[in-house]
Order: sequence, then C-alpha cells, then structure tokens
Amino acid sequence: MAEWGRTTLEMFVEELQRPVRLDESFDRRVMVKVRRLYAAQRPRGVRAVFAAIAGVSRRPAWAAALAASVVAVASVGIFRARALQPNAGATRLEPVTFVYVNKTARSVSVVGDFNNWGVGDTALVATNHQGVWSVKAPVATGLHRYAFVVDGKEWVADPSALRAPSDDFGLPSSMLVVEDASK
Amino acid sequence: MLGLAGMESSDAELVTRVLHGDVNAYGALVSRYRDRYARYAVHMLGNREDAEEALQDAFTRAYRSLARCEEPERFGAWLFRILVNRCRTSGARRVRRGQTFVHDEGALLNASEEHPAEQTMWREEIERAVGELSADQREAFLLKYVEELGYDEMSEITGVGVSALKMRVMRACDRLRILLKEVHSG
Repeated sequence: MAEWGRTTLEMFVEELQRPVRLDESFDRRVMVKVRRLYAAQRPRGVRAVFAAIAGVSRRPAWAAALAASVVAVASVGIFRARALQPNAGATRLEPVTFVYVNKTARSVSVVGDFNNWGVGDTALVATNHQGVWSVKAPVATGLHRYAFVVDGKEWVADPSALRAPSDDFGLPSSMLVVEDASK
Repeated sequence: MLGLAGMESSDAELVTRVLHGDVNAYGALVSRYRDRYARYAVHMLGNREDAEEALQDAFTRAYRSLARCEEPERFGAWLFRILVNRCRTSGARRVRRGQTFVHDEGALLNASEEHPAEQTMWREEIERAVGELSADQREAFLLKYVEELGYDEMSEITGVGVSALKMRVMRACDRLRILLKEVHSG
C-alpha cells in the first residue's frame, strides 16, 4: 500500500464514494411488494380477497376465459371453473407450467401468493428464440393470484389467463386454480 | 408514504412500528438506506439494473425477516449484511451465465453531465478496474475503502476472517495499482 501513490488511492476512492441515486419509483416498487407481503400475512385481508374472487367466479364468462387460459398455463388438468374455492385445507403441491411470450424481454419471472410475490424467486427460462418463456413450479392446490415481472420491473398480468379483480395496490394480476390431480 | 416525522425517527422506532403493523413506516427505512446501499450494489455488480434488483430483494427479505432483527437500532447494518449476501448470489449467478462485468451506464451518464470529459474517462477507468477484480477482492476493497468499515465489521458482515480480509484488500490494491498504471502508460 505504501508504495502505491496515496493520491491515486484517494482519487480512486473519492470517485467510488460518489452517491448513486435511485429514482423514486424504486421506493414505490419496494413498498408494493412489502404491502403485498403484509396483506398476505393478514388473515382478514386474505379472506376478503378470496371472497371477492369467488364472487366473480360464478360469472359464465369467467368459465370460458378460464378454459382459454389452459393454453398459456398448461398443466395437469388443474383448471375447472367450478373449483373456485379458497385454499381451504389444500396443502398438496402440483406442478404448474407458466408460459409467457415476450420477444423483447431480457428476463421474466412469475410472482404470486405461492412464492410470497418474490421477484426473481421463480424465473422463467427462454425456451427458444421466439420469445417464449416458461418455467414449471410446484404450486399448492387451491386458488392463487399471480403475475409476470418483465426485466425485473414491469408487472404484467398473464394475457392468456383470467384477470384477477383489482387489489389495493393497483397492479395487474391473473388468477390460477390448481386442483388436486390425484382426485 | 411517511412525512418528515417518519424520517426523523430512529431505526429502532421505525422497526418497532413496522412490527406492530404500521407497514408505511418501512417506507422511511427504504428511503433512508436506498441510495447509500445502491452505491455498494452498483459497484459490486457493475450495473444499475442488477443492483436495483439486488437491493429491492434485500429490502423485501429484510421485511419478511424483520422479527428476527435482534438489534433494531442497528437495522442498517443488518440490512447491509443481507445485501452483501444477495450481491454474492447475484454475482455468482452472473458468472454462471457467462456475463461479463459491465459499466454502470447511469453513473457514467451522470458523470458526463456533471463533469468534463476527463472526469468521465477517469470514471470509466475506475469502473473497468473495479470490474477486473475478483468478486472476493472487490467486496473486500469496497467494504474497506468505499464503505469505510473496520475489519471487525467486515468480518461480521461477510463471515470471513480478519486476516483473510486484509489479504484480499491488499491484493485488490496491488491489482488496482497495476491496472491503473496500465491505463496511464497505455
């Protein structure tokens, strides 16, 4: 250290110590996730969300849309509109393949109540050069909300699946019903 | 999110409020540590996008585990440890993907707006030199000289012994000296 010119070190460090400022949207993104976690931890809030979803699910249009979503979320016979019941007593995990098409995305991950809305926890992999991203993940049987996060920032609902009713956070999300394949 | 009152509260007060259900109090903690820790993440990971992702993940993980923060008055240090670990994971993943270290384009852009061309070139040289260090050396150098931590603190955060950290810092300095000399002589 002694022979390295101290001035050079000081200049070097001084430059590295310059503040790095993030824009205000960073705070908003963090707090959206934090509020989602908070809501997921509140029993009353969770029940309210499920009640809202279950109420809407009786509409015939939702049943048709739900069937269409099989194309985007191919899995082991998990979708049946009649089964829109909250996760009561459901602990079995079923493999679910999430598919999202985006030719310009550099990264895609799926977030949902099944992974505590953890961005990056469940990353999709580009399966070819046509912008098709997919991942197979274990999801507990029952009713779930989920969304895709593109490039770590853009939060999008699954365009091929049922759109979930808007929540307190104003971010789009889709609905997923996972049924017990053994039944 | 929170008014000035929230910003004036101590870390311990804010942590207590969050644990009692005042989720908005967490926003004050995010604002308090965002920029300071963004600096470490940007230099450690080499680009703003990965740094923001790592920092966002660190804040989220800290919130999930807040009840396990044994010293709420040292929330910042606890959060920093989470971030350092997160940066290690992210850096290792990047190596596995075969990506190279890239410049923090945002910082370079800011530098070019605020400083003359020579300053921008100097900044580029520094970014490149830091990126040439091994992850272990870069981590030790940044913690020691940029974050100005003592070796005991560094050891606590990284789980690496003091002697090993001193060696890493020394080797980082040696490497930087060579790299910068190459730039100036070239």
